Amino acid sequence: MSRVHKIFRKFYKIGLVLFLAIFLLFIFDEIQNLDIKRYLSEHYISEGVQETGAINLVTSVLYDYRGFDTLGEATVILTAAATLSFMTPIKKVKMLGTEFTIIIYQTIIIIIPFLVVLGMNLIFFGHISPGGGFVGGVILAMIPILVTINYGITFSENKLKPNHKSLLEGIGAIGFILLGLLGIFAGSNFLASGQANFGLGNPGELISAGLIPYLNLMIGIKVGAGLAAIFNSLIKEG
Amino acid sequence: MELPYVVVIILFYLGIYTIIMNKNLIKIVVGVNIVESSLILLLILISFKLGGTAPILDRKYELVVDPIPQALALTAIVIGGSLIAVMLALVIKIYKRYGTLNVDEIRKLRG
Amino acid sequence: MTGGKVVIYVILNMLMIFLLFTAFFAVFTKNLLNSIITLAIFSAILIVIFVILQAPDAALAEAVIGAGLTLTFFVITINKTKDWQNE
Repeated sequence: MSRVHKIFRKFYKIGLVLFLAIFLLFIFDEIQNLDIKRYLSEHYISEGVQETGAINLVTSVLYDYRGFDTLGEATVILTAAATLSFMTPIKKVKMLGTEFTIIIYQTIIIIIPFLVVLGMNLIFFGHISPGGGFVGGVILAMIPILVTINYGITFSENKLKPNHKSLLEGIGAIGFILLGLLGIFAGSNFLASGQANFGLGNPGELISAGLIPYLNLMIGIKVGAGLAAIFNSLIKEG
Repeated sequence: MELPYVVVIILFYLGIYTIIMNKNLIKIVVGVNIVESSLILLLILISFKLGGTAPILDRKYELVVDPIPQALALTAIVIGGSLIAVMLALVIKIYKRYGTLNVDEIRKLRG
Repeated sequence: MTGGKVVIYVILNMLMIFLLFTAFFAVFTKNLLNSIITLAIFSAILIVIFVILQAPDAALAEAVIGAGLTLTFFVITINKTKDWQNE
Protein backbone atom coordinates (compact mmCIF):
# COMPACT_ATOMS: atom_id res chain seq x y z
CA MET A 1 0.00 0.00 0.00
CA SER A 2 2.73 2.45 0.90
CA ARG A 3 4.64 1.57 -2.27
CA VAL A 4 1.63 2.45 -4.35
CA HIS A 5 1.31 5.65 -2.37
CA LYS A 6 4.97 6.51 -3.02
CA ILE A 7 4.68 5.89 -6.75
CA PHE A 8 1.50 7.91 -6.81
CA ARG A 9 3.24 10.82 -5.05
CA LYS A 10 6.06 10.66 -7.54
CA PHE A 11 3.99 10.62 -10.68
CA TYR A 12 0.84 12.57 -9.97
CA LYS A 13 2.39 15.89 -11.02
CA ILE A 14 3.54 14.47 -14.34
CA GLY A 15 0.14 12.82 -14.82
CA LEU A 16 -1.61 16.09 -14.11
CA VAL A 17 0.53 17.89 -16.66
CA LEU A 18 -0.13 15.20 -19.30
CA PHE A 19 -3.87 15.26 -18.61
CA LEU A 20 -4.00 19.03 -19.02
CA ALA A 21 -1.95 18.78 -22.22
CA ILE A 22 -4.44 16.37 -23.76
CA PHE A 23 -7.28 18.63 -22.63
CA LEU A 24 -5.65 21.61 -24.36
CA LEU A 25 -5.09 19.52 -27.48
CA PHE A 26 -8.86 19.10 -27.91
CA ILE A 27 -9.43 22.83 -27.33
CA PHE A 28 -6.88 23.73 -30.00
CA ASP A 29 -8.44 21.27 -32.40
CA GLU A 30 -11.75 23.11 -31.94
CA ILE A 31 -10.08 26.52 -32.36
CA GLN A 32 -8.42 25.44 -35.57
CA ASN A 33 -11.62 24.10 -37.12
CA LEU A 34 -13.71 27.05 -35.98
CA ASP A 35 -14.52 29.24 -38.98
CA ILE A 36 -15.31 32.68 -37.60
CA LYS A 37 -15.71 35.81 -39.67
CA ARG A 38 -13.40 38.38 -38.07
CA TYR A 39 -15.37 41.54 -38.80
CA LEU A 40 -13.22 43.86 -36.68
CA SER A 41 -10.03 42.75 -38.42
CA GLU A 42 -11.64 43.15 -41.81
CA HIS A 43 -12.70 46.66 -40.90
CA TYR A 44 -9.18 47.52 -39.76
CA ILE A 45 -7.66 46.09 -42.94
CA SER A 46 -10.04 47.76 -45.38
CA GLU A 47 -10.51 51.14 -43.65
CA GLY A 48 -7.42 51.46 -41.44
CA VAL A 49 -5.21 53.34 -43.87
CA GLN A 50 -7.87 55.95 -44.63
CA GLU A 51 -8.92 56.36 -41.00
CA THR A 52 -5.51 56.65 -39.34
CA GLY A 53 -3.05 57.53 -42.12
CA ALA A 54 -0.52 54.89 -41.01
CA ILE A 55 0.22 52.11 -43.48
CA ASN A 56 1.62 49.81 -40.77
CA LEU A 57 -1.58 48.33 -39.42
CA VAL A 58 0.01 47.02 -36.23
CA THR A 59 1.10 50.55 -35.34
CA SER A 60 -2.34 51.94 -36.17
CA VAL A 61 -3.96 49.34 -33.90
CA LEU A 62 -1.48 49.99 -31.09
CA TYR A 63 -1.44 53.80 -31.12
CA ASP A 64 -4.78 54.84 -32.56
CA TYR A 65 -7.57 52.30 -32.17
CA ARG A 66 -6.28 50.83 -28.92
CA GLY A 67 -4.11 53.66 -27.63
CA PHE A 68 -5.50 53.23 -24.14
CA ASP A 69 -4.01 49.72 -23.93
CA THR A 70 -0.61 51.11 -24.85
CA LEU A 71 -0.92 53.58 -21.98
CA GLY A 72 -1.59 50.63 -19.65
CA GLU A 73 1.45 48.82 -21.00
CA ALA A 74 3.61 51.88 -20.37
CA THR A 75 2.26 51.90 -16.82
CA VAL A 76 3.41 48.30 -16.36
CA ILE A 77 6.98 49.22 -17.34
CA LEU A 78 6.85 52.26 -15.03
CA THR A 79 5.71 49.99 -12.18
CA ALA A 80 8.52 47.51 -12.83
CA ALA A 81 11.14 50.28 -12.84
CA ALA A 82 9.70 51.76 -9.65
CA THR A 83 9.68 48.36 -7.91
CA LEU A 84 13.29 47.65 -8.82
CA SER A 85 14.44 51.13 -7.77
CA PHE A 86 12.66 50.64 -4.47
CA MET A 87 14.50 47.36 -3.80
CA THR A 88 17.94 48.70 -4.68
CA PRO A 89 20.28 49.87 -1.92
CA ILE A 90 21.58 53.42 -2.18
CA LYS A 91 25.23 52.57 -1.46
CA LYS A 92 27.76 52.02 -4.18
CA VAL A 93 28.42 48.40 -5.12
CA LYS A 94 31.52 47.37 -6.99
CA MET A 95 30.76 45.64 -10.22
CA LEU A 96 31.88 42.48 -11.97
CA GLY A 97 35.65 42.66 -12.00
CA THR A 98 36.10 42.12 -15.70
CA GLU A 99 38.92 43.66 -17.70
CA PHE A 100 38.65 43.88 -21.48
CA THR A 101 41.27 44.63 -24.09
CA ILE A 102 41.58 48.01 -25.77
CA ILE A 103 39.91 46.64 -28.92
CA ILE A 104 36.61 46.28 -27.15
CA TYR A 105 36.79 49.72 -25.55
CA GLN A 106 37.46 51.42 -28.88
CA THR A 107 34.79 49.37 -30.69
CA ILE A 108 32.13 50.44 -28.22
CA ILE A 109 32.95 54.10 -28.85
CA ILE A 110 32.54 53.56 -32.60
CA ILE A 111 29.32 51.54 -32.28
CA ILE A 112 27.34 53.98 -30.11
CA PRO A 113 26.47 56.63 -32.80
CA PHE A 114 25.17 53.89 -35.09
CA LEU A 115 22.97 52.57 -32.30
CA VAL A 116 21.51 56.07 -31.80
CA VAL A 117 20.78 56.36 -35.52
CA LEU A 118 19.20 52.89 -35.64
CA GLY A 119 17.00 53.53 -32.63
CA MET A 120 15.84 56.92 -33.89
CA ASN A 121 15.16 55.46 -37.34
CA LEU A 122 13.01 52.71 -35.85
CA ILE A 123 11.11 55.23 -33.71
CA PHE A 124 10.40 57.86 -36.38
CA PHE A 125 9.59 55.40 -39.18
CA GLY A 126 7.33 53.34 -36.94
CA HIS A 127 4.16 54.13 -38.87
CA ILE A 128 5.46 53.29 -42.34
CA SER A 129 7.74 50.30 -41.67
CA PRO A 130 8.19 47.58 -39.02
CA GLY A 131 9.49 48.89 -35.76
CA GLY A 132 7.94 51.50 -33.53
CA GLY A 133 8.43 53.05 -30.15
CA PHE A 134 9.00 49.89 -28.15
CA VAL A 135 11.74 48.41 -30.31
CA GLY A 136 13.50 51.74 -30.84
CA GLY A 137 13.34 52.49 -27.14
CA VAL A 138 14.94 49.17 -26.27
CA ILE A 139 17.76 49.81 -28.75
CA LEU A 140 18.33 53.23 -27.16
CA ALA A 141 18.40 51.50 -23.77
CA MET A 142 21.17 49.23 -25.06
CA ILE A 143 23.63 52.18 -25.02
CA PRO A 144 23.77 52.67 -21.21
CA ILE A 145 23.86 48.87 -20.85
CA LEU A 146 26.92 48.58 -23.12
CA VAL A 147 28.66 51.46 -21.35
CA THR A 148 27.92 49.94 -17.95
CA ILE A 149 29.19 46.50 -18.89
CA ASN A 150 32.39 47.80 -20.43
CA TYR A 151 33.41 50.74 -18.27
CA GLY A 152 31.82 49.92 -14.93
CA ILE A 153 28.89 51.28 -12.99
CA THR A 154 30.70 54.34 -11.58
CA PHE A 155 31.61 55.75 -15.00
CA SER A 156 28.14 55.04 -16.35
CA GLU A 157 26.40 56.78 -13.45
CA ASN A 158 28.69 59.75 -13.87
CA LYS A 159 27.76 60.09 -17.53
CA LEU A 160 24.02 59.49 -17.16
CA LYS A 161 22.73 60.00 -13.66
CA PRO A 162 19.82 57.84 -12.37
CA ASN A 163 17.86 61.00 -11.61
CA HIS A 164 18.04 61.97 -15.26
CA LYS A 165 16.74 58.56 -16.29
CA SER A 166 13.77 58.98 -13.95
CA LEU A 167 13.19 62.47 -15.37
CA LEU A 168 13.24 61.15 -18.96
CA GLU A 169 10.80 58.39 -18.04
CA GLY A 170 8.50 60.94 -16.43
CA ILE A 171 8.71 63.18 -19.50
CA GLY A 172 7.70 60.24 -21.70
CA ALA A 173 4.71 59.28 -19.55
CA ILE A 174 3.45 62.85 -19.07
CA GLY A 175 3.96 63.64 -22.76
CA PHE A 176 1.92 60.60 -23.77
CA ILE A 177 -0.96 61.68 -21.53
CA LEU A 178 -0.78 65.31 -22.72
CA LEU A 179 -0.87 64.19 -26.35
CA GLY A 180 -3.89 62.12 -25.44
CA LEU A 181 -5.58 65.14 -23.85
CA LEU A 182 -5.05 67.00 -27.13
CA GLY A 183 -7.75 64.76 -28.57
CA ILE A 184 -10.23 65.95 -25.93
CA PHE A 185 -9.44 69.60 -26.68
CA ALA A 186 -10.13 68.94 -30.35
CA GLY A 187 -13.58 67.76 -29.41
CA SER A 188 -13.13 64.02 -29.64
CA ASN A 189 -12.14 61.14 -27.37
CA PHE A 190 -9.05 60.61 -25.23
CA LEU A 191 -6.05 59.51 -27.38
CA ALA A 192 -7.93 60.03 -30.64
CA SER A 193 -5.81 61.04 -33.60
CA GLY A 194 -7.65 59.69 -36.61
CA GLN A 195 -11.13 60.64 -35.42
CA ALA A 196 -10.04 64.17 -34.50
CA ASN A 197 -8.46 64.87 -37.94
CA PHE A 198 -4.98 65.94 -36.88
CA GLY A 199 -3.63 66.45 -40.40
CA LEU A 200 -3.51 62.87 -41.61
CA GLY A 201 -1.55 63.75 -44.77
CA ASN A 202 -0.67 61.29 -47.49
CA PRO A 203 -0.30 57.72 -46.25
CA GLY A 204 3.29 56.54 -46.72
CA GLU A 205 5.08 59.84 -46.07
CA LEU A 206 7.15 60.63 -43.01
CA ILE A 207 5.02 63.57 -41.81
CA SER A 208 1.64 61.91 -41.82
CA ALA A 209 -0.69 59.88 -39.64
CA GLY A 210 -1.55 62.71 -37.25
CA LEU A 211 -0.34 62.13 -33.70
CA ILE A 212 1.14 58.66 -34.21
CA PRO A 213 4.83 59.69 -34.75
CA TYR A 214 4.79 61.88 -31.63
CA LEU A 215 3.17 59.14 -29.56
CA ASN A 216 5.87 56.81 -30.91
CA LEU A 217 8.56 59.24 -29.78
CA MET A 218 7.09 59.52 -26.28
CA ILE A 219 6.80 55.74 -25.91
CA GLY A 220 10.37 55.34 -27.19
CA ILE A 221 11.78 57.78 -24.63
CA LYS A 222 9.76 56.17 -21.87
CA VAL A 223 10.64 52.56 -22.66
CA GLY A 224 14.32 53.35 -23.20
CA ALA A 225 14.70 55.26 -19.95
CA GLY A 226 12.64 52.69 -18.05
CA LEU A 227 14.65 49.69 -19.23
CA ALA A 228 17.94 51.50 -18.59
CA ALA A 229 16.75 52.23 -15.05
CA ILE A 230 15.72 48.58 -14.61
CA PHE A 231 19.16 47.39 -15.73
CA ASN A 232 20.89 49.91 -13.48
CA SER A 233 18.90 48.70 -10.48
CA LEU A 234 19.52 45.05 -11.35
CA ILE A 235 23.27 45.53 -11.53
CA LYS A 236 23.43 47.47 -8.25
CA GLU A 237 21.31 44.86 -6.46
CA GLY A 238 23.02 43.15 -3.56
CA MET B 1 -4.12 18.78 -36.43
CA GLU B 2 -1.12 20.63 -37.74
CA LEU B 3 2.34 20.37 -36.25
CA PRO B 4 2.76 24.01 -35.02
CA TYR B 5 -0.22 23.79 -32.66
CA VAL B 6 1.17 20.56 -31.18
CA VAL B 7 4.52 22.31 -30.70
CA VAL B 8 2.76 25.15 -28.84
CA ILE B 9 1.08 22.66 -26.49
CA ILE B 10 4.33 20.77 -25.84
CA LEU B 11 6.23 24.00 -25.13
CA PHE B 12 3.51 25.29 -22.81
CA TYR B 13 3.46 22.13 -20.71
CA LEU B 14 7.25 21.84 -20.78
CA GLY B 15 7.33 25.26 -19.13
CA ILE B 16 4.63 24.30 -16.61
CA TYR B 17 6.55 21.08 -15.82
CA THR B 18 9.73 23.12 -15.23
CA ILE B 19 7.93 25.52 -12.90
CA ILE B 20 6.44 22.65 -10.87
CA MET B 21 9.29 20.14 -10.73
CA ASN B 22 12.59 22.06 -10.88
CA LYS B 23 14.39 23.01 -7.69
CA ASN B 24 16.53 25.86 -9.00
CA LEU B 25 15.03 29.35 -8.97
CA ILE B 26 16.75 30.47 -12.18
CA LYS B 27 15.45 27.36 -13.95
CA ILE B 28 11.94 28.32 -12.82
CA VAL B 29 12.38 31.73 -14.46
CA VAL B 30 13.53 29.90 -17.62
CA GLY B 31 10.28 27.92 -17.48
CA VAL B 32 8.23 31.12 -17.26
CA ASN B 33 10.10 32.45 -20.29
CA ILE B 34 9.28 29.32 -22.30
CA VAL B 35 5.58 29.55 -21.38
CA GLU B 36 5.48 33.17 -22.54
CA SER B 37 7.19 32.32 -25.81
CA SER B 38 4.73 29.52 -26.52
CA LEU B 39 1.77 31.83 -25.98
CA ILE B 40 3.25 34.48 -28.29
CA LEU B 41 3.77 31.78 -30.92
CA LEU B 42 0.10 30.80 -30.52
CA LEU B 43 -1.00 34.41 -31.11
CA ILE B 44 1.09 34.66 -34.28
CA LEU B 45 -0.24 31.30 -35.51
CA ILE B 46 -3.82 32.45 -35.01
CA SER B 47 -3.13 35.61 -37.02
CA PHE B 48 -1.63 33.72 -39.98
CA LYS B 49 -3.61 33.05 -43.15
CA LEU B 50 -2.22 30.95 -45.96
CA GLY B 51 -1.03 33.21 -48.77
CA GLY B 52 -1.42 36.43 -46.81
CA THR B 53 1.05 39.29 -46.70
CA ALA B 54 2.38 41.22 -43.72
CA PRO B 55 0.07 44.03 -42.48
CA ILE B 56 2.04 46.86 -44.12
CA LEU B 57 -0.10 48.14 -46.96
CA ASP B 58 2.23 50.14 -49.16
CA ARG B 59 1.07 48.66 -52.48
CA LYS B 60 -1.64 46.44 -53.93
CA TYR B 61 -2.57 43.48 -51.77
CA GLU B 62 -4.92 40.55 -52.01
CA LEU B 63 -4.98 38.95 -48.57
CA VAL B 64 -3.56 40.43 -45.36
CA VAL B 65 -2.90 38.56 -42.13
CA ASP B 66 -4.82 39.58 -39.01
CA PRO B 67 -3.20 42.65 -37.35
CA ILE B 68 -4.92 42.46 -33.94
CA PRO B 69 -3.14 39.32 -32.56
CA GLN B 70 0.18 40.75 -33.76
CA ALA B 71 -0.38 43.93 -31.76
CA LEU B 72 -1.24 41.80 -28.73
CA ALA B 73 1.94 39.75 -29.28
CA LEU B 74 4.05 42.92 -29.35
CA THR B 75 2.50 44.00 -26.05
CA ALA B 76 3.10 40.57 -24.54
CA ILE B 77 6.77 40.53 -25.55
CA VAL B 78 7.55 43.92 -23.99
CA ILE B 79 5.67 43.17 -20.78
CA GLY B 80 7.37 39.76 -20.57
CA GLY B 81 10.80 41.40 -20.67
CA SER B 82 10.09 43.70 -17.74
CA LEU B 83 8.38 40.87 -15.84
CA ILE B 84 11.49 38.69 -16.15
CA ALA B 85 13.66 41.58 -14.95
CA VAL B 86 11.56 41.91 -11.79
CA MET B 87 11.64 38.15 -11.18
CA LEU B 88 15.43 38.01 -11.54
CA ALA B 89 15.85 40.93 -9.13
CA LEU B 90 13.77 38.96 -6.60
CA VAL B 91 16.01 35.91 -7.20
CA ILE B 92 19.11 37.99 -6.42
CA LYS B 93 17.41 39.31 -3.29
CA ILE B 94 16.56 35.77 -2.13
CA TYR B 95 20.13 34.61 -2.76
CA LYS B 96 21.57 37.47 -0.72
CA ARG B 97 19.26 36.63 2.17
CA TYR B 98 19.38 32.82 2.27
CA GLY B 99 22.64 32.00 0.47
CA THR B 100 21.12 29.34 -1.80
CA LEU B 101 18.92 29.00 -4.84
CA ASN B 102 17.37 25.63 -3.97
CA VAL B 103 13.66 25.90 -3.26
CA ASP B 104 13.55 23.06 -0.70
CA GLU B 105 16.43 24.48 1.34
CA ILE B 106 14.85 27.93 1.34
CA ARG B 107 11.62 26.43 2.63
CA LYS B 108 13.53 24.59 5.38
CA LEU B 109 15.51 27.66 6.39
CA ARG B 110 12.44 29.80 6.73
CA GLY B 111 10.69 27.33 9.06
CA MET C 1 0.41 24.47 -53.49
CA THR C 2 3.26 25.53 -55.74
CA GLY C 3 6.90 24.57 -55.30
CA GLY C 4 7.99 27.57 -53.26
CA LYS C 5 5.16 27.17 -50.78
CA VAL C 6 6.03 23.51 -50.19
CA VAL C 7 9.63 24.49 -49.41
CA ILE C 8 8.50 27.15 -46.94
CA TYR C 9 6.13 24.63 -45.31
CA VAL C 10 8.91 22.07 -44.89
CA ILE C 11 11.29 24.71 -43.48
CA LEU C 12 8.62 25.88 -41.02
CA ASN C 13 8.07 22.35 -39.70
CA MET C 14 11.82 21.75 -39.39
CA LEU C 15 12.21 24.97 -37.42
CA MET C 16 9.42 23.82 -35.10
CA ILE C 17 11.37 20.62 -34.41
CA PHE C 18 14.52 22.65 -33.71
CA LEU C 19 12.48 24.83 -31.35
CA LEU C 20 11.48 21.73 -29.38
CA PHE C 21 15.11 20.52 -29.26
CA THR C 22 16.42 23.82 -27.88
CA ALA C 23 13.59 24.11 -25.36
CA PHE C 24 14.18 20.58 -24.02
CA PHE C 25 17.94 21.18 -23.85
CA ALA C 26 17.42 24.47 -21.99
CA VAL C 27 15.20 22.75 -19.43
CA PHE C 28 17.09 19.50 -18.85
CA THR C 29 20.75 20.52 -18.94
CA LYS C 30 22.61 20.73 -15.64
CA ASN C 31 24.75 23.78 -16.33
CA LEU C 32 22.87 27.05 -15.88
CA LEU C 33 25.03 29.01 -18.32
CA ASN C 34 24.38 26.44 -21.08
CA SER C 35 20.68 26.66 -20.34
CA ILE C 36 20.60 30.43 -20.75
CA ILE C 37 22.65 30.53 -23.94
CA THR C 38 20.29 27.90 -25.38
CA LEU C 39 17.36 30.11 -24.42
CA ALA C 40 18.83 32.87 -26.61
CA ILE C 41 19.07 30.39 -29.51
CA PHE C 42 15.43 29.46 -28.81
CA SER C 43 14.49 33.11 -29.26
CA ALA C 44 16.53 33.32 -32.47
CA ILE C 45 14.65 30.37 -34.01
CA LEU C 46 11.40 31.99 -32.90
CA ILE C 47 12.38 35.15 -34.85
CA VAL C 48 12.73 33.18 -38.10
CA ILE C 49 9.36 31.53 -37.49
CA PHE C 50 7.73 34.94 -36.97
CA VAL C 51 9.20 36.22 -40.23
CA ILE C 52 7.89 33.18 -42.10
CA LEU C 53 4.45 33.70 -40.51
CA GLN C 54 4.39 37.33 -41.78
CA ALA C 55 4.76 39.16 -38.48
CA PRO C 56 7.75 41.53 -38.86
CA ASP C 57 6.83 43.76 -35.91
CA ALA C 58 6.71 40.89 -33.46
CA ALA C 59 9.94 39.50 -34.94
CA LEU C 60 11.79 42.78 -34.35
CA ALA C 61 10.52 43.04 -30.78
CA GLU C 62 11.46 39.43 -30.06
CA ALA C 63 14.93 39.96 -31.56
CA VAL C 64 15.65 42.96 -29.39
CA ILE C 65 14.01 41.87 -26.15
CA GLY C 66 13.92 38.08 -26.18
CA ALA C 67 17.37 37.42 -27.58
CA GLY C 68 19.20 40.54 -26.40
CA LEU C 69 17.92 42.10 -23.22
CA THR C 70 16.70 38.98 -21.43
CA LEU C 71 20.05 37.25 -22.00
CA THR C 72 21.82 40.22 -20.38
CA PHE C 73 19.53 40.07 -17.37
CA PHE C 74 20.07 36.33 -16.93
CA VAL C 75 23.86 36.63 -17.20
CA ILE C 76 23.92 39.43 -14.62
CA THR C 77 21.82 37.27 -12.27
CA ILE C 78 24.14 34.28 -12.63
CA ASN C 79 27.15 36.49 -12.04
CA LYS C 80 25.55 37.87 -8.89
CA THR C 81 24.51 34.52 -7.43
CA LYS C 82 27.63 32.47 -8.23
CA ASP C 83 25.60 29.26 -7.97
CA TRP C 84 26.66 27.89 -11.29
CA GLN C 85 25.90 24.20 -11.06
CA ASN C 86 22.33 23.04 -10.86
CA GLU C 87 22.47 21.29 -7.49
